[in-house]
Amino acid sequence: MNAIDLSDEAIVIIGSGAGGGTLAYELTKRGIPVVVLEAGGYLHNEDYVNDEWEAFNQMAWLDPRTTSGSWRIARDFPNLPAWIVKAVGGTTTHWSGATPRFKAHEFAARSTYGRIDGANLIDWPITLAELEPFYDKAEIAMGSTHVHGRKPLPANNNYTVFANGARERGYQHVSTGPYATNAEEYDGRPASIQDGFNFQGDKNKSKWSTLVREIPRAEATGLLDLRPNSHAVQITHDATGRADAVLYLDAEGNLHRQAASLVSIAANSIETARLLLQSGSPMFPDGLANSSGQVGRNYMRHTTGSVYARFDKPVNMFRGETMAGVIADESKHDPDRGFAGGYYLETISLGPAFLASFAEPGAWGREFTEILDAYRNTAGLWIVGEDMPQESNRITLNTSVTDKNGLPVPNVHFDDHRNDVAMREHGYLQAELLYEAVGSVGAHRTPPYPSTHNLGTARMSEKPQDGVVDRWGRTHDVPNLFVSDGSQFTTGAAANPTLTIVALAIRQAEYIADQLKSGGI
Amino acid sequence: MVFPAKYPQLNDTELTEEARSVLIRVIRVAFPHPNFPDGPYERTADTILAEAANSTWFRVAITQGLLTLAHFAGGDFRDLNDDDATKVLRRIEATEFFGFVRRTTVLNLYDNEDVWEALGYEGPSFDKGGYINRGFDDLDWLPAAQIEVSPDATPLVEIATNVPLSGSRPATGPTPVTPGAPVAPAATAATPGRDTSNQPGPRDAEMAEVKK
Repeated sequence: MNAIDLSDEAIVIIGSGAGGGTLAYELTKRGIPVVVLEAGGYLHNEDYVNDEWEAFNQMAWLDPRTTSGSWRIARDFPNLPAWIVKAVGGTTTHWSGATPRFKAHEFAARSTYGRIDGANLIDWPITLAELEPFYDKAEIAMGSTHVHGRKPLPANNNYTVFANGARERGYQHVSTGPYATNAEEYDGRPASIQDGFNFQGDKNKSKWSTLVREIPRAEATGLLDLRPNSHAVQITHDATGRADAVLYLDAEGNLHRQAASLVSIAANSIETARLLLQSGSPMFPDGLANSSGQVGRNYMRHTTGSVYARFDKPVNMFRGETMAGVIADESKHDPDRGFAGGYYLETISLGPAFLASFAEPGAWGREFTEILDAYRNTAGLWIVGEDMPQESNRITLNTSVTDKNGLPVPNVHFDDHRNDVAMREHGYLQAELLYEAVGSVGAHRTPPYPSTHNLGTARMSEKPQDGVVDRWGRTHDVPNLFVSDGSQFTTGAAANPTLTIVALAIRQAEYIADQLKSGGI
Repeated sequence: MVFPAKYPQLNDTELTEEARSVLIRVIRVAFPHPNFPDGPYERTADTILAEAANSTWFRVAITQGLLTLAHFAGGDFRDLNDDDATKVLRRIEATEFFGFVRRTTVLNLYDNEDVWEALGYEGPSFDKGGYINRGFDDLDWLPAAQIEVSPDATPLVEIATNVPLSGSRPATGPTPVTPGAPVAPAATAATPGRDTSNQPGPRDAEMAEVKK
């Protein structure tokens, strides 16, 4: 490993997940040394366990957070707004693998959807055409099935129910992917053994994550200084307003200062906003790079929900790849359905331990236990669609609650937009009809889980007053400060975000390398 | 309002064997699974008692909760049939006592192999080679499903044809960019009629509201 001195002005990347891990690899492979500060420890694939709660306690980001707003999470899981990972590889070690692309119009949400009351919509400053070459690169890197010659995954039981229901309902765009898990050996990693554990980390290394691809390859260049258990707490700047260092805590709580020539934040939307807010100074009184006031605002989490349907015959949904099943027909924008934007339906499965905790939080009695008693005969799907950015949905610092290091914890405030509610209701109904079409005898509407898709808190905008970063993820206010994760998302689109985060990071790396060469940063 | 720390005698509250047996009955009534053996329920009750032993607040809540159950039951809660016992629990479901029992039960009852077996969940699989040769695709009561979109499928219409589209920026189809050449931000920003974040472009009245 290349040890970079604390006093060397380094390129410092905060976070090692989809954004940070990808950026680190793309820069080191071009010969540019980087420091990666990862708040979590270095877990390896062998460390993962096939047990829902044990894995959760091993991997999840469990630092205290608070919540407010009318979303159910604030009542059911007030200190767990998000279900993300604190470890090397970030949430790519937990994600299930679905990799749809954004559609062209989803980069132009404001122009396409028009004005929607309460929604703080703007268009992305980039287009699908600009991102397409990077989508290709990201799909090839991640080994997405169904594209670039990658074989599709086979149908598992949960998919067979899902796809038959879809056909009965007239859906045509139904498949087991694109899905970034190998159906056959690819890129030095084996084919899926359909072990059914995705959210718990993939012991078999068939699923793409930065842990299995970008980080080891960056390490192999000899140019990566990866520091696990290093929690960034502040970015400082010099008198001219350029970022000059990152302060971070090590595992023992000791503070270090890494000098920096360029800083990229890829800490997942909640922590990215928190870090910027914690980095306020007389020059940036509302938080670093926050002259727009948009840091922490427009927090999006996708409109989600699940339906678990019961049959009178066995399904065994837990066997096999959790989310290798996608229906794209509802991902269109068709306001006649009663809402703007679209959603995907994707297969999902939970074990009894998580189903009990998440199927209907707060419930008990026969109507609750019948959900679990039907476990063997249950099929499940997840609704994932575009939610509306709202200025009031936001991350703030809760100065009355501190973490173990004495830092203010982030508060996550969220209210559903009525467009979100209408979309979720539509999705629930379509899912129930889908399962009824293949003989379901009952179905349960499960509310959204703690957020796995956290987006928008440092959004990309053409104009500095509308957002935090420009078309390259470079902050409008601080020329050598970048954001490289889903916080950049101007709007959320319907697609699962990881592919787009990776594509943006590959594109951003090219830009940074180019700017470093030309002296533009 | 109870301030447990002020009343040290409450710290001496003993949770008796009888209390344990009432608690087991509470969990059985609240989370009825006809095919669960007694073991998981007993284990869950013991987990609750162990947590109560470590927390004055939970111990106080449990002590009071058990007393309340006896009051509402008009005697021994364990003597009530399932329906009556459920009614009593409905009356106390908003209490600290019941919330504590419910949360602890949901977290623990279903996190054990004997329960998984009763429910038909096969659990850890990596060490057994996954499910690839153990029934991941053994569902036989529906036809095999296509795993790829059929070449005959109607192309996905991304924007319904009833939506008026912006004349100022093509929302579908390729935009005129040279591959590889970054587009200057000004190229789109300068387009006349384009929206700003708070001033809609000229055609927006048509989409001003989400139609319901």
